[in-house]
Amino acid sequence: MNKTVNINLGGIFFHIDEDAYLKLQGYLESIKRSLANSQGSDEIIADIEARIAELFNERLKNNKQVIRLREVDEIISIMGQPEDYVVDEEIFEDDPSTNQNKSTRSKKLFRDPDNSYISGVSSGLAHYFGIDAIWVRLAWILLVFGAGTGVLLYILLWILVPEAKTTAEKIMMTGEPVNISNIEKKIKDGFDNVSQVAKNVSDSVSKAAKNVDLKKGTNSIKSTSKTFFDSLADAVMILLKIFAKFIGILLIIIGASTLIALIVGLFSIGVADIVHIPGLDSLDLVNVGNTPIWLVSLAIFFAVGIPFFFLFYLGLKILINNLKSIGNIAKFTLLGLWILSIITLVIFGIRQASEHAFEESYIEKNELFIKANDTLMVKMSHSDKFNSSFSRDDFKLAHDDNGNKIMYSSDVRIMVKSTSDTLASLSIIKSANGRNYETAIARAKNINYHYEVNNNNLMLDAFLTTDIKNKYNDQEVDIILYLPENTVVYFSSNTEDFIRHNTHEGHLISDKNTNHFIRIMDNNSKCLDCPDEDFNVEVDTPEVKIDSNGIKVESEEVKINISSKGIEIKSDQ
Amino acid sequence: MKIENTKAQMRKGVLEFCILSVLKDEDAYVAEILSTLKDAKLLVVEGTIYPLLTRLKNADLLSYRWEESTSGPPRKYYGLTETGKLFLEELSSTWNELQNAVNIVTSQKNNSNE
Repeated sequence: MNKTVNINLGGIFFHIDEDAYLKLQGYLESIKRSLANSQGSDEIIADIEARIAELFNERLKNNKQVIRLREVDEIISIMGQPEDYVVDEEIFEDDPSTNQNKSTRSKKLFRDPDNSYISGVSSGLAHYFGIDAIWVRLAWILLVFGAGTGVLLYILLWILVPEAKTTAEKIMMTGEPVNISNIEKKIKDGFDNVSQVAKNVSDSVSKAAKNVDLKKGTNSIKSTSKTFFDSLADAVMILLKIFAKFIGILLIIIGASTLIALIVGLFSIGVADIVHIPGLDSLDLVNVGNTPIWLVSLAIFFAVGIPFFFLFYLGLKILINNLKSIGNIAKFTLLGLWILSIITLVIFGIRQASEHAFEESYIEKNELFIKANDTLMVKMSHSDKFNSSFSRDDFKLAHDDNGNKIMYSSDVRIMVKSTSDTLASLSIIKSANGRNYETAIARAKNINYHYEVNNNNLMLDAFLTTDIKNKYNDQEVDIILYLPENTVVYFSSNTEDFIRHNTHEGHLISDKNTNHFIRIMDNNSKCLDCPDEDFNVEVDTPEVKIDSNGIKVESEEVKINISSKGIEIKSDQ
Repeated sequence: MKIENTKAQMRKGVLEFCILSVLKDEDAYVAEILSTLKDAKLLVVEGTIYPLLTRLKNADLLSYRWEESTSGPPRKYYGLTETGKLFLEELSSTWNELQNAVNIVTSQKNNSNE
């Protein structure tokens, strides 16, 4: 039993078997393609269809009869193969302008599996642009080493560009028109290639045998030069192949080592997160958005790992020619996973950033019993527990005296200002970031900072602490020391790292002034025991010389010498 | 060089001339032209004729008219135009010269072979 199709051929109605219909359709399509360059091809097709209809009509006894495959085959044998329709242009061409169509015929981009190193992207592009594939491959290598974008681009092309599977697609790839004769040619080429290879093998054997008497032969120059260039080309090809294999090995090493590192990292983080290894708490501290750590590490794993996996696969493909493809489903899944991880990381980043959107400060102001003419000694008090020898913006974990987990940082800065009050005072400004005003101010209040006053000694903590659940949110402490005029302040040398460098906003002490007694004046300060700065001027020109010996000025008319011996003036006139 | 190609080229070379000759005395539709050419073994498959007919028509050597048929769809009846007639005359004389020339050359060769 067969399904039938109703068709209208040349204005006549036919019942036709489905398989016969498909064959007839394919036949007409290929005729259309082979006539694509002829003038009036529509008219020709209409004539052909009319003739086929006529032939069918002759063969059908009545209207109920169905056209079967046999009839279609018969018609095709009468009408001829598609290439019989093509008028031999060389004989009949009298209008050369129609030839131009050939060069503008559209090519399609396919991956060429026959000449592929990895996936045939390069040779497909080479066909498309009409250049040799080696240039495309070189460009890829440059791109990969240039910015690494080449890898991504290549993978995208690999996924997106279809492979030329059928002969028709392979012909479209090279830009030749698809017709029966070309397909036939292509298939013959394939056989020729095989026979060529066989011939080459036998040739090389016989060539080796011939080599003995080559030098005597009359054709020797031609043959030797030919063999020379052939072998040169072979050598270059072998070198390029070795180079490609080397790159393959390199890619495998890079890809594999990164993947292993990532897997180890993911595994240890994952385990640590589940088992709660203490050292990992520092990670938890930064994670202000409270995004689950396993999610972030998984996202990082995929975001970094997938490109490296493809790199690894690429290397493998270079080394092993017949490597089976991982399949489009796997490729798309990986691509999707990669995009998903990137999105996750972006969201994490935004959450993280939004936690720092507000910076708020909480100010404590306390009076110190320091009057004018008193001398205040300022020192930092370091704790054995809180090692402050790390960078200011960093933070560390410790346990306080009650055994609670706390974080501490050395983000403490000192400023000194003059005041017209009779007593000195100390402002402690605690600031922190937060998603909004409330969280920021709460975090600021939760900063613990202590100082001690003992007679005229001010002991400032070199660190601030806060509970671990406040997380790291740029917690910092700014200390402003307001001193009445005419007090003298002495900063111990261990305060040097904590004194603000810049002298704006009325800040009177520079970090270079530690270990000196400094008198505070109205918006000004004076160092009481700083050594005078050396006055050192040295001028050394042919006319003027100023150094430790004195000043010498010499011109053609006058010579002046000022030194410890006195002033000497010589004049030629 | 393949013998089939050479044969096909030879045949195709004279095909235009033959089509015009078929239409010299009376108009005909494609099936009639085809049967004449096929009887003379000038055509193996029918497909070849369609592009040629269109080419000749586009060159104003042929013209056609539609005629109703009793047994099927309307048929295209082809006929020579005035230019077609002149063209045919010229081709005829060329063909005669060519025939002579080929005869002379081939018979000479035969003679020398003997």
